[in-house]
Amino acid sequence: MTELATSVTATGVRAGAGYWLDSYRALTRWHLAGLRMWLMLLTVVQVLAGAGFVLGIALFFDHIPATAALYVCTGVPVVNLMIVGLILGPQLVAEQKLQQSYEFVRSLPVPRTAAAAAWYTVCLLAGLPAVTVSLLIAEARYGISFSLSPAIVPAVALTAFTGTMMGYALSHAVPNPMVTQLVTQLLVFVVFGFSAILFPAGQLPAWLASLNWWFPFEHMAVIVRAGLTAGLATGIASSYLIVAGWGIAGAAASAWALGRRG
Amino acid sequence: MSAVRQVAAPHAPGTITRSGVGYWLASLRAMIRFDLGQARQWAGMMLLFQTLMGAGMAVMYGFFYPKISHSTALYITTGTPTLALVPLGFALVPLNVATERIQGTFDFIWSLPVPRSAQAAATFLLFTLLSLPGAVLALVVASWRYGVALSVSPLIVPGAVLCALMAISVGYGMALAISNPLLVNLITNALIFVVLLFSPVVFPASHFPGWLLAADRALPFYNMAEVIRAGLTRGLVTDLGTCYLILLAWTAVGWALTAWVVGRRK
Repeated sequence: MTELATSVTATGVRAGAGYWLDSYRALTRWHLAGLRMWLMLLTVVQVLAGAGFVLGIALFFDHIPATAALYVCTGVPVVNLMIVGLILGPQLVAEQKLQQSYEFVRSLPVPRTAAAAAWYTVCLLAGLPAVTVSLLIAEARYGISFSLSPAIVPAVALTAFTGTMMGYALSHAVPNPMVTQLVTQLLVFVVFGFSAILFPAGQLPAWLASLNWWFPFEHMAVIVRAGLTAGLATGIASSYLIVAGWGIAGAAASAWALGRRG
Repeated sequence: MSAVRQVAAPHAPGTITRSGVGYWLASLRAMIRFDLGQARQWAGMMLLFQTLMGAGMAVMYGFFYPKISHSTALYITTGTPTLALVPLGFALVPLNVATERIQGTFDFIWSLPVPRSAQAAATFLLFTLLSLPGAVLALVVASWRYGVALSVSPLIVPGAVLCALMAISVGYGMALAISNPLLVNLITNALIFVVLLFSPVVFPASHFPGWLLAADRALPFYNMAEVIRAGLTRGLVTDLGTCYLILLAWTAVGWALTAWVVGRRK
């Protein structure tokens, strides 16, 4: 905040790359400081839940098939990555709206894009520890050796981006916080149980599998899986396009909602 | 409110005896009417939530298997009523208590001239009755989804009632004994996670390592699943007596916690 204040009083120009970067830095720090307790608790819960899922899936089977293990172990990081931005972010904003601190955050003199970028950074950072731990535990438990390729970097960045932007749209474009909370709770169900993230799409009924194709969740799993394994994921290019499309749509909806006066 | 007045009214002032079996039963009746009046607001939502949760989980579990064998389908189907009862007793009941605490209803009910044991008994009775339709509906959806033929025996009645009563008693006792709603919330979520992944509710116990199974035998969830499964299948459950005993013991724990909190003066 202090950096922001000095730059404003000194120059008085609230535009330009320098101002944008200052705002971005200030708001990222603001989120990290304001949410530090929440983020710490979140990280612990995410790590435990991720580890629990990776370990617990073995109990579903007498002898877990290698494919099932591989799908869960590469799917859990995807859930870790998007759950902060998609589910917990909107819940946090809904709470802010109920407590009426939402208007204050919106009134801060920062460019909207800088605010969105700062929130994206926080969501990405919050997801990464759990991703790492889930993968390490998977390796130890099931003896899976992941073949990390450079493609993992854009895959992780895009998955978190789309999750965050969809959540951002949900937070800002839906006026009633109760609706936001209801939708996010429903999304948890959809993401965990009815999207082909933790298991192959072929295990879903045909109609649900084709419905899944239009949503980004299965495709997030495809692109992350492509960065972690060799030869398991197919149709990677179209998956990138669909995930990016949803991310852009989320960003556009947020921009529209935040750009309105009212 | 008016129900309570009706109970007390027949006695002339001065002669009221607020003790004895008759008074207790009259209080129980009044409290059930009182609770029922409140329940009208949320009973429908609860039924919906419970059915969706139970049936949804049952359908979801199926997606994780490359091929669903008959035994897998049978375990998932017969585990469904347990999946519908657990969130009700261990999540909704504590949530209800927390809401009542915040709204002040809780203190109001305690101030009524009715024995607190009758108040608690009314809650247990009502929730137990209200929880069973959702469990049955979830079971119907699951058996339709997996096409499993069940052989229902009369054992299901005491089994399901005991499971519902136990879940509600423990949930209620826990919510009363722990006054911090955040802590209750945390425990509730952790319990649900444990039930869904680490308890042999929808999978055979043979999948579990010995130490984990030993822990599950002591916790209520595995025993709930076994007791309900025994009423829906033949020859699958062998240690039914122990399961009943452990469930009874947990019910007693729930009641003891309730009695302890209710008996204290604030």
